[in-house]
Formats: sequence, C-alpha cells, structure tokens
Amino acid sequence: MLADLIESLAKIVFIFTVNVGVFAPILGWVERKQSAVMQDRIGANRADILGFTAIGLFHSLADAVKLLTKEDFVPANANKFFHTLAPFIALVPAISAFAIIPFGGRYELFGREINLVIADLDVGILYVFALAGLATYGTVLAGWSSRSNWSLLGGLRASAQMLSYEVAMGLSIIGIIIVYGSLRLTDIGAAQENFFRWGIFLQPVGFIIYMTCAIAENKRIPFDIPEAESELVAGYFTEYSGMKFVMFWMAEFLEMVTISAIVTTLFFGAWHIPFVTDAMLLSWFSGFAGPNGAAALAMAVNIAVFFAKVSFFIWLQMTIRWTLPRFRYDQVMRMCWKMLLPLSLINLSITGLVVLLL
Amino acid sequence: MSTTTGLGQSPYSVQVGVPAAVLKAKKVRRRLDLTLWEKLYVAEIVRGLVITSKHFFINMLGFIFPPAGKKRKVFTVYYPEEKLTLPSAYRGRPVLVAHADGSEKCVACGLCEKMCPAHAISIVAAEKAPGERYPARYTLDLGRCVYCGYCEEVCPKEAIVMSDEYQGLAQGDRNLLRFQKEQLLRPEGKVKTRLYFVRRIYSKWNY
Repeated sequence: MLADLIESLAKIVFIFTVNVGVFAPILGWVERKQSAVMQDRIGANRADILGFTAIGLFHSLADAVKLLTKEDFVPANANKFFHTLAPFIALVPAISAFAIIPFGGRYELFGREINLVIADLDVGILYVFALAGLATYGTVLAGWSSRSNWSLLGGLRASAQMLSYEVAMGLSIIGIIIVYGSLRLTDIGAAQENFFRWGIFLQPVGFIIYMTCAIAENKRIPFDIPEAESELVAGYFTEYSGMKFVMFWMAEFLEMVTISAIVTTLFFGAWHIPFVTDAMLLSWFSGFAGPNGAAALAMAVNIAVFFAKVSFFIWLQMTIRWTLPRFRYDQVMRMCWKMLLPLSLINLSITGLVVLLL
Repeated sequence: MSTTTGLGQSPYSVQVGVPAAVLKAKKVRRRLDLTLWEKLYVAEIVRGLVITSKHFFINMLGFIFPPAGKKRKVFTVYYPEEKLTLPSAYRGRPVLVAHADGSEKCVACGLCEKMCPAHAISIVAAEKAPGERYPARYTLDLGRCVYCGYCEEVCPKEAIVMSDEYQGLAQGDRNLLRFQKEQLLRPEGKVKTRLYFVRRIYSKWNY
C-alpha cells in the first residue's frame, strides 16, 4: 500500500517536474530562439548572470521574475470571480491531461511491477478529450468576464473553433482505437512494439487530421484566430497581466507538450525504439547489469526515447507555427466542417471496413 | 566614373548603381487558380516546412560549428560588441577639422551659421593676428541639428564635415548636447574618407 503510494507520488513528481519545471519555462525560450534561427536572426541572448548568457536561457528566468512582480490587473466592471477563475480552468486540464499518458512500459523492478503511467485509465484517450472540452471553458470565461470587446470576440471565436475541432479530433482518433482495439493508452503503446504496427503506418490520414485539429484546439498559429494579435490585440487574454497571463501562456505550452505526447503514443510507437523490442532491450542490458539493473536501464532508455519523440513533435509544432500564416475565420470553419470532418468520417468507415474484412 | 580629388592622391573611383547581372529578376508565377495538388494544401505545407527547417538546420549548424574564417552565417550585428564600418556617405555628428598642430581650420566666416536651417551653429569670431580670423567660440547644438550636411557643403575651408560618429547623440540633459569647439575638433586623418567623398560629390556640381 505504502509502496504503491510512493510509486504514484514519484511518477507524479517526475511528470510535474518535467512539464512545469522543464518544458513550460524552456519552451518560451525555444519559441523565441527557434523562430530566430529559422528567420536567420540570433534571438534572445542579452539576459546574463555575472556575464554568463547561457545562449539566452536566462530570459525565461527574467520573464518569470518580471511577470510575477507585475501588477495583477482586473478591468473595471469585469466579473472579478470569473476573471480570476478562467486561467485556472485553462491551466488545470493542460497539466492533468498528462496523467494518463504512458511515458514508458512495464518493468519488473525488485519484485514490483512498475507501470510508467500515473493513472492507467481504461477510458484512456476519452479522458483527454474530456479535459480538452474543459479547457474551452477557461478560454470562453476569460473572454466573457474581461468586459472588453477584444476579449469577448476572442472568446466567441475560441468557443466556435474549439467546439468544432473537437468533433473532427475525436473522430480522427476512433480509427486508432478500432485498429488497436483498446482505449487504454498503455495497451495502444504496447501494441506498437513492432515498427510496422506504428499508428502512422496504419492511420496516416488520422495522424494528419489529429495533428491539424490538435493545433487548432491549442489555438496556435495557423489557427490562432481567438488570439489574432493583428486583429484582436491578444484575443481572450487581452485583459490579463502578471501571473494570470503566465497561466494562459503555460497552458498553451503544456497543451503543446500533451499533444506531442499523445501523437507519440498513438502514432509514433510511444516509448519504443524502431526494430528494438522490450525483450531485446532487457536482454542486452542484463548481460552486464543484472535483472534489476537491466530493468532500470531499459526504463531510462524508454523514458528518454519517449521524451525525445515528444521534443521532436514540439519542434514540429513550433516550425509549423513559424512557417504558416493565419487562416481567416471562415476558412478555419470551412476547413473543419467541410474538409476535416468528412475526411475523418471516410477514414473511419474505411478503417472499420478493413478491420471487419481482415 | 572617377574624378581627381586633389591632396596628391590617385584618382578615387567608385562604381555607381547595381551591376546589371545582379538585377536579373526571378520569374514570378502569378496565377490565381490553384491546382488540385495545391488545394490539398498538405503537400504545400510540407514544402513550406522544408524551406523553414532548411534555414533552421543550416543556421543551427552554423551556430554550433561556425564556418572557418567567418564568425557565423547569420549577419545580425551584436551591436555594442560589434560595430559596422559606415560608408563615407553616412552623415553623423558634424565635427571641426583640425590642422596638424591642433588648431582649427575654421576661419569663422559664418557661412555655416547662416546656412544652417535649424540654427544649430553659433560662432563668436575673433582675430589671431590682424586679418586672420578664428572662432573664439564655436557652439553646435546637436539637439537642433538635422544632419542635413549643408554646413559641410557651404564651408570654403573644409573645416566642418559630417563624421561617422553616431554615439552619444541622445542625452538626458539638453545642455549636454551643446557641443563646444574643443569637443568637436578632430584630426584630419580621422575624417579623410569623408573629405574625399565631399570633394567628389560637390565637384560634380561645378561650383
């Protein structure tokens, strides 16, 4: 009982540290630096501590200090309760969605079976969709409670966009669920041990639709009409400052990590290395490390592989963000209802037919 | 084109305009109707991603392994640490040219004072010897100066030229922008390229 508790706590602390402690602050720097490198610029490199600039990494620290010490401003006539509540509703789903994502397989360590996932839910991926639905409330509440025209327009656009894309996103994943026969993400991950059974080979269309919808759900650039800097100042979080602003900002980055993790888990073999099965990994390491050491090493390798894949998809999302221009509002809606939804339905029917016939 | 510049120098030649070979325009396709392949958009996104990530990886490689001889591939100037060598046509702070012995070339004729559209220059003339004038005080208010270069153009003695100095032109106190003669004097060697440039452009106009 106590061991279970410690194991869960360790996993929660690990995921929380990786997400909130490493990814969230560093992604702010990555975004600035990567866009700079892509556009033949240099990017942030001025903040320094005793002359050390650490290629601009201290800018995250400086940003954090600046934003934490800023005035927490609530506009006159705004609904203060909901104005304060909205960033929490936006951030909490972004953090808690990671609970069901397996960042490693099952390992036999000191007579204990360790399953590297915080909550191995049998509804699995549906939990993520439920939380994505909750995140919409944060955005809409932020837009409504600010009492600002920009915010209200941003909130309206966000509600329409996020609700529409949830449909196509859900349908694009059902293909994967049919193929692997399980909603549980650990099962889906374990089923992709064989390189040719990776989701990207079985469901390439599903991957494209999911990626598109996920970026739209996250309101990042080709689909950033709820924020639309040039039209709506900052959209639904125009009236936010200081820590509340950081929470929206962190929610965006953490959602990006979550999207990458889900794409990795569903389509790119989760924690597996191509052509290397778990048993092979264990047998290689047990030659010199013993059974427990081998399990620990395999665990470390799998976690590293998983986060390497996640980092790649974060890079891909960043690259997409700095490559494409923003869609117009009607284009976003047309793309969802007239292209992605029929496409995902066709994908779903063909997948179902093929699985039924085989 | 080339003109002689005096001062016992060889003719100073400069190429005017961009060579024709560089100006060859790329053919731009201006068609509004897209093909089906372009309408699908996924392939076009990939094409865009390939271009941007090509820049990304080339620049990353350049940052990690700087190419030999060159410091890096990105041409941004790290300003306070690196400074550009400005072209001689650049009009920075006007300065007074000094003789080799440190005395000013200026003869306090007052033409620049008269010419200055912003009334930035004020001169108090005095005589060194009978018939030999010099500015006892030469005040240049850089808060008023518009960097037009008329003073330089009108000066008969090449005593005031626009230098390439651009730092210290913003001050918290306007009085700090009132430069006196002693602060403005520069040895002739420092403004030589500008002097050649000035002679070349104004000789063209047949004064």
